[in-house]
Amino acid sequence: MIPFRFRLERRLERHWWQSVLTPLLSILAAFAAGAIFLLIKGFDPITVYRELFKASFTSKFGITDSLTIAVPLILTGLAAAVVFRMNIFNIGAEGQLYLGAIFGSWAGLALTGNLPTVLGVAVVLVAGAVGGALWAAPAAVFKAYFGTSEIITTLMLTFIALFLMRYLIFGSHSYWRDNEAANFPQGKKIPSSARFELWSDTRLHWGLVVAIAIAVLVWVIIRFTSLGYDMNVVGSSDAAARYSGIPVRRTVIMAILISGALGGLAGATEVAGRAYALDPNGLELGLGFTGIVVAALARYNPFAIILVATFLGGLRNAGVALQGLPGERVPVEVSLMLQGAILLFAIGGEIFTHHRLSVSRVAEAVAT
Amino acid sequence: MSSAVEAGPGASPDQPAAIAAINVTKRFPGVLANDAVDFCVWPGEVHTILGENGAGKSTLAAMLCGLYRPDEGHIERNGLPVRLRSPRDGLAHGIGMVHQHFRLVDRFTVAENVVLGDPDQTRILDYREIEKRVAEIGDQFGLPIDPRALISNLTVGQRQRVEIVKMLYRGADVLLLDEPTAVLTPPEVEALFTTVRSMTSEGKALVFISHKLGEVMEISDRVTVMRAGAVTGEVATSETNQRHLAELMVGRPVEVDTRRGSATTTDVAFTATGLTVLDAGQTVVDNVDITVHRGEIVGIAGVAGNGQRPLARALAGVIKPNKGRVTIGDNDVTGKGPKAARRAGLSFVPEDRLGTGLVPGLSLTDNMLLTRKRGFFVDRKSARAEIAASIDAYEIKTPGTEAEARNLSGGNSQKVLLARELAGLGESGGPQAIIVSSPTRGLDIGAAEFVRGLLHEARQRGAAVLIISEDLEEVRSLSDRMAVLYRGRIALEGRTDELPFESIGLAMAGVAEEETA
Repeated sequence: MIPFRFRLERRLERHWWQSVLTPLLSILAAFAAGAIFLLIKGFDPITVYRELFKASFTSKFGITDSLTIAVPLILTGLAAAVVFRMNIFNIGAEGQLYLGAIFGSWAGLALTGNLPTVLGVAVVLVAGAVGGALWAAPAAVFKAYFGTSEIITTLMLTFIALFLMRYLIFGSHSYWRDNEAANFPQGKKIPSSARFELWSDTRLHWGLVVAIAIAVLVWVIIRFTSLGYDMNVVGSSDAAARYSGIPVRRTVIMAILISGALGGLAGATEVAGRAYALDPNGLELGLGFTGIVVAALARYNPFAIILVATFLGGLRNAGVALQGLPGERVPVEVSLMLQGAILLFAIGGEIFTHHRLSVSRVAEAVAT
Repeated sequence: MSSAVEAGPGASPDQPAAIAAINVTKRFPGVLANDAVDFCVWPGEVHTILGENGAGKSTLAAMLCGLYRPDEGHIERNGLPVRLRSPRDGLAHGIGMVHQHFRLVDRFTVAENVVLGDPDQTRILDYREIEKRVAEIGDQFGLPIDPRALISNLTVGQRQRVEIVKMLYRGADVLLLDEPTAVLTPPEVEALFTTVRSMTSEGKALVFISHKLGEVMEISDRVTVMRAGAVTGEVATSETNQRHLAELMVGRPVEVDTRRGSATTTDVAFTATGLTVLDAGQTVVDNVDITVHRGEIVGIAGVAGNGQRPLARALAGVIKPNKGRVTIGDNDVTGKGPKAARRAGLSFVPEDRLGTGLVPGLSLTDNMLLTRKRGFFVDRKSARAEIAASIDAYEIKTPGTEAEARNLSGGNSQKVLLARELAGLGESGGPQAIIVSSPTRGLDIGAAEFVRGLLHEARQRGAAVLIISEDLEEVRSLSDRMAVLYRGRIALEGRTDELPFESIGLAMAGVAEEETA
């Protein structure tokens, strides 16, 4: 017999610091787990982690590169957060991002030639948001009217989007493909009027400001508008929503469309700020799926999403930098592995914000 | 102070108590649910825990059966201290609880439910043996039940029997019954009491949780009265009476008064005509006509489950009736939804508080907004002021206006709901009519009186009030006119003062149906 008994008890009181502590401890635990892996592979975890942080968060270019990756992550994080907090699991931000890129790059190529830059970029972003929302629409309608699991539909739609994007560039001479490029098939570049301006001599673009503004907007919608209120009610109790006359289906559809639009926006900012074309190789980075990690770690808080996206952006950025370490090369996958471990620990740790672990000694005399 | 391990009146001092709580204290955030409570039951007796809702009865019972652990003090079983970690642990010690809300799987048979989760069963179940045992237990204790019947085909009273059989099958000889009569018809109550007596004659110890004085006097040997988490008295029923118990329970003499509307008007506030609702092919509301005038309270009485819920929901626009019309003032709102009904001036307090009337995951402030008109932006400032004022007026126990509704006790959440729906009732610009399902269920007597006062005042201001309640006394004390709902139909109606009490009882039991039709 084990002399101790472990039990989870429901916490009756919850404190704000618990919701900060859990993600932080999850990150630490993930790094600890990663250290075991690194040790097995013969690397010194301290060195690797130090390099990792140095690469992403200490130099000007390191920080700006981390922030550049944070831009789409903020948006896909918001895409997940908006619906996850209602217990609607749109896990298809990845596909919605591709559609945003397809729509955004089309708009950039077709509509922005003579426009001033600000307007040109706006056209790309709006088109991207529309594309993402449209791609989420079937999942929204099926969820609202037939109760079809949005987890399945949004995931399946993601694969369709992926192959659609590849087809447009690799499989056909589509409008998006640069048919004059001789060698490897690639997307046609959008005109400069459709591109975000870069900050100083770095790769950071104005999409960061857009993403932060959108985060604020999402916060305002959720917190202060009737739409956000309706979403909160529907997310917490269908019966209460029906009792008060809130249209449940319409609210569910709206929420998923907003989520899809945010995913599409992420694709459009990638096109306007980094890829400048429909570029499957440059877009297939799992930014949409990473958004789920961002949202979970940020506990669906729009402002926390900005911070978490920057942190995970840095982690991703560092993956490349690690290859430059002296001696045997640290695989670039280390950063992805850490990211996955962080999610696992974050989800696992979630239980401790609602429950506490109590350890008690098993006394022999108890049995009668 | 006498300790609970000493012999109580009518008990046998030479044997230890079947179960005892020694000086137990249990705290919840902001609430001292049990404050140094002593309680014990001897084998062969019925000991009632009596108290208003929120007095701490259920918390004490939960500690006795292993659902909660005391913060201080301990539980003793046959004179030995035990630490119960879970209800299963409790059952392993022979302590079984029958909850108010049954823990049964609808699609399983009686026998399957009886052995469900039983740790003593072998991996391969011998149903013939199990069914035989179930039938034997049924015979022994007057609990006739077909072991092969599906739970979904059983009445509420039969389901309760299954719960009791389940506990006896697992060898419980301390049984805790949490408000067992709340869901039963009078004949079912009699049958239950017969069972209770046969169990005590076999030496079982029974803990009965109730707030109905008549029953308590009839069935118990001893009564422990609780108020606000503390024991206010422990008495033998042979040495007390209902009045004395009521005083211990509420701490002041109970005043049952009758209030009627002073101004009877002929202004129709809202009506239902030929209202019929089908649910899964069954007629649950059958051709009901209701008229409520301004300045009048109409009460709908009846045993739970006779169509009260769909009737209220159809009237308030939450569901579409299959036939019939609903008008509020001059507006036909049939099937136009709850918002249209509210615009026409109808408030609605639904039967389910948390989850329908209130949103569990939202703050109290946000819950005040649920049935308010909302613009593009929500107006939290006025909602916060409103709930803050209500917390004072209704004495709502909560950490604050931003606490989640799910953290409130039943009585307190009911107060929040009433505060929202009663606001401005009968005042100019406010709603002119209200449907209230079980207005005071879960409230202590003081709060219930307060709410009834509010409903009465609203009537005096000219509001039209429809009360749908299982509490017949409440309906009779407030209503100018009343009706009895039986199987979705109005079985009896008339002026409350002109309806003989016996006819009401017969109508509720479905006996008077032919005579009045």
